Amino acid sequence: MADIDLLKGLAPDEAERVLALGKRVVVTTGGELFHLGDAAESIYLVARGRLRLTLPMQVRSHEEDILVEERSSGQTVGWSALIPPYRFTLTASAALETEVIALPREALNSYFAAHPGTGYTVSLNLSSVIGHRLQLFQAMWLREIQRMVEMRCA
Amino acid sequence: MEMLLMGACLSVFGLAVCCLAFGAATRDSVNPVAASPGVEPGVEKEIVKAAASPARFFVDPPMLPMAARTRVPIEALLLQIENHVRLEHAAAECFLESPNASLLHSRTISTLVN
Repeated sequence: MADIDLLKGLAPDEAERVLALGKRVVVTTGGELFHLGDAAESIYLVARGRLRLTLPMQVRSHEEDILVEERSSGQTVGWSALIPPYRFTLTASAALETEVIALPREALNSYFAAHPGTGYTVSLNLSSVIGHRLQLFQAMWLREIQRMVEMRCA
Repeated sequence: MEMLLMGACLSVFGLAVCCLAFGAATRDSVNPVAASPGVEPGVEKEIVKAAASPARFFVDPPMLPMAARTRVPIEALLLQIENHVRLEHAAAECFLESPNASLLHSRTISTLVN
């Protein structure tokens, strides 16, 4: 439980109470957990296995799902469920049989309203998850721009 | 007078040769697909894509990545893209651990861009 990035800093019993808000879902190999554009009602904690996060891309006139990121045990997926407009911006599918804990937004909001300290800690953890993603993709984007500039100037 | 006429003729001839050479250097090469009416439109598109840039005098051909230069199967191309994303992800992670310009612009071994 200490390895779950969204629950870092919470006392074990407090983390248990948050986890009890969710339900376990098993996604078979190749199965989709959510699809780009779907309404995002739950945030997911990966308990075991591995999820592929993909975006569609045109490759030789065919739409292909291109890997953007992978998430494994202890990591959080689907934070679009906590951020308006509550729509998934990626597709998540299981690279191998994967078990996640689905935490519904409504249940989390109610719990955090009653336990603001827990809500604050989870919000900080969520900020870290989102911030890390932002910094990572900022760096990846700049590397691609650099390559484009080098090709143009070659 | 004869010398003057000869000089004028040589000048006009020289100018004509220069014009022909300039025209040849700057003209687009004939599209090979347009000359073959039996080719279907879908195939035509593929051939046009596969064709390299037309050779021109004074213009170096653009440096294309290996994946673009060779016609790899789509499965192989998708694997190359996936491998590229993983490598870029790892490079970005390295940069975030110790942010500096050289790590940000470290070279990649990805076959998609090399």
